[in-house]
Amino acid sequence: MSAPVEEEYEALLQFMYMAPIGLVQTLADGEITMVNPLCAQLLMPLSPDGQLSNLFTALEAVVPDLRQRVREFTQMHGTICDAQQVPISTGQTGRRQHQVLSLTLLKLDAERLMAVLSDVTQSVRRERELRQSQAWINTLAIGLSDYALVSLDHRGCVQDWNPSISRITGFNREQVEGRSLSLFYPADAMSDQRVLDRLHEADLTGWSLDEGWCLRADGGRYWGSCLIAPLHDSDGDPSDEHAYSLIIRDVSDRREAAEAMLKAVSCDHLTGLFNRRAFVEAVELEMQRWARSPRPLSLVMIDADHFKRINDQYGHVTGDGVLRHLAASMTATFRAMDVLARFGGEEFIVLLPDTSLEGAELVAQRLCCLIEATPAVVGEHTVRYTVSAGAAIMDADATDFDVLVQRADEALYAAKAKGRNRVERWHPATQPAALP
Amino acid sequence: MNTERTVAFADAAVFDFLERASDAELDGLDFGVIGMDDASHVTRYNRFESVAAGLSPERVLGHALFTVVAPCMNNFMIAQRFEDALEGGSTLDDTIDYVLTLRMRPVKVKLRLLARTGSALRYVLVHRQA
Repeated sequence: MSAPVEEEYEALLQFMYMAPIGLVQTLADGEITMVNPLCAQLLMPLSPDGQLSNLFTALEAVVPDLRQRVREFTQMHGTICDAQQVPISTGQTGRRQHQVLSLTLLKLDAERLMAVLSDVTQSVRRERELRQSQAWINTLAIGLSDYALVSLDHRGCVQDWNPSISRITGFNREQVEGRSLSLFYPADAMSDQRVLDRLHEADLTGWSLDEGWCLRADGGRYWGSCLIAPLHDSDGDPSDEHAYSLIIRDVSDRREAAEAMLKAVSCDHLTGLFNRRAFVEAVELEMQRWARSPRPLSLVMIDADHFKRINDQYGHVTGDGVLRHLAASMTATFRAMDVLARFGGEEFIVLLPDTSLEGAELVAQRLCCLIEATPAVVGEHTVRYTVSAGAAIMDADATDFDVLVQRADEALYAAKAKGRNRVERWHPATQPAALP
Repeated sequence: MNTERTVAFADAAVFDFLERASDAELDGLDFGVIGMDDASHVTRYNRFESVAAGLSPERVLGHALFTVVAPCMNNFMIAQRFEDALEGGSTLDDTIDYVLTLRMRPVKVKLRLLARTGSALRYVLVHRQA
C-alpha cells in the first residue's frame, strides 16, 4: 500500500512551497489561480496594488507589454516569452536593490497560462564580470602601455576631453568634443550605425572589444585595441542616460602577431581573404544586428570568368596567382568594414553592411572595370581575365542568410548568362529557369 | 483546560501572551502564529496556521522560515524587517497587508511582525482578511 493520499498531498504541497523557482498559473486575462511562495516573494514587492490577483497587473511596471503579447499570441499553445530578463529595483528609498528576474510565459490552452519566474541576478552579474575580466585580461596581458580614456554618451559621441586623448590620437579638444567615436577610425571602417551596434553589444555583454587600424589627427594610421564598456547599470535606465567609456591603446607593435594569429584561423591560405567559417561567423553578427534594427545589408557574389580555361592554358600555379590578384583587387575596391571571403574555388563573396543594392552594384561594377583594365602578372605570364558578379539585398522576405546567398547566386548566374564581365542585381523576376 | 486564556490578533499585549502561552493555548487562537528563533528556525507553529497552509507541524518545526516554510516572506517587506530589528536591537511591531500562497492560492492576509530585545523568539501572526 502506498502512503495515504493526504500524506502525499502534504508532501507535494511542501515540495511546491520549497521550490526555489517561482511558478504561477493564471487565466487568459492574467487572473492568478495558483501561485507558489517564491513567486509571491518576487512579485509582491513589484505589485502596484499590494495584491496578487492578476499577474499582468503585478508585472505592469516592469513588463508593460505582457498583456498585449498574450493577446497577440494567436497559437493555441506555446511559449509567449522565453527566459526574458527583467531588470527590477525594489526596497525602500536609499536601500534600493537591483535584481534581474527571468520570466518565461507559456500558453497552456485557450484558458490557462503558466509563468516561471526566477531571480537570476547573481548569474547575470557573474557572467558579466567574467566577460569584463576576460576583456581586461586581454588588455593587460600584453603589457601596460599608454592609453586614451574617452567618455562617450548614448550616441557614441565624446563627452569630455582629456590629455590622454591627445597623447594617443593627436586630436585636440575642439576636434573631438561632441564628435562621434568614428573619428578615431579610418573613414571606411566605422559607420554611424556600426557605432550604435557596438554600444548596444557593450550593453548586452558588458563590453565590446575590437582591434584594427585607427586614425591619428595627422592622418597617420596605427593598430589600435579599442574597448567599449558601459558605465551605467543594466537596470533599464532610459537609453539617453546611457554612458560608456572607450579605451584606445596603440598596439602597433603586436599588429603582425595579431594579424598572423587571425589569419591562421580565419583566412583562406591562398588569397588571405576570410575563409568560409570566418565569413559565416561575421555574417551571424551582421544578421543579429539586422534582426535588431533592419538596415540595408547587401551581398555580392563574384566569380572569375572562364577560370577553367586559365588553368588549362597557364597551369594551376598561374591560376592561383590570378585568384590572388582577384582577391587583392577586391581588397582595394571594397571598404574595410565589408566582409570579404573566398567562398569556393574561384567564387568569392562580399557582405556589405549599411549598403543599398544600388551601392553594392556600383562597387561591384568598379571591381569588374578594375579587373578588366588590370591584367594579373604571374611570373612570366600576363593574364587578362574578367569577372561576373551578382548583387542582392536582405529584406523581410529573406528568412535567413541562405536565402540572401541564393539570391546573389541567381543574380550571378544571370550575369554569366548575359555574356559575363558584368554585374546583375537580384530581383524577384530573376528566375534561373527562364535563362538560356 | 478551563484556565485556557486567549488573545486577539490586534491586541497590544499579544507578545506577552505568546511568550507564556502553552501549545494548546496557541492552537486555540483564531489566527496563525509562527514563532522563530534568532537563526529564523521555526520553533512554534499553531493549528490555525498549520491547517491554512496544509502542513503538519512536524514538517515545519526546526526548519528555516524564510527558505523552507514561507519563502514568500523572504524579501525586504518581511525578512529584511526582522533582520534590521535584530541587528539594530530594536523593537518591531508592525501590521502589513500581504498575500500568502496558502495551498497555492493567493490569499489576502494581515501580517503582524513582532520582535523585541530580550525575547528568545520572534513572531509572525497571520490574520486572514475577509
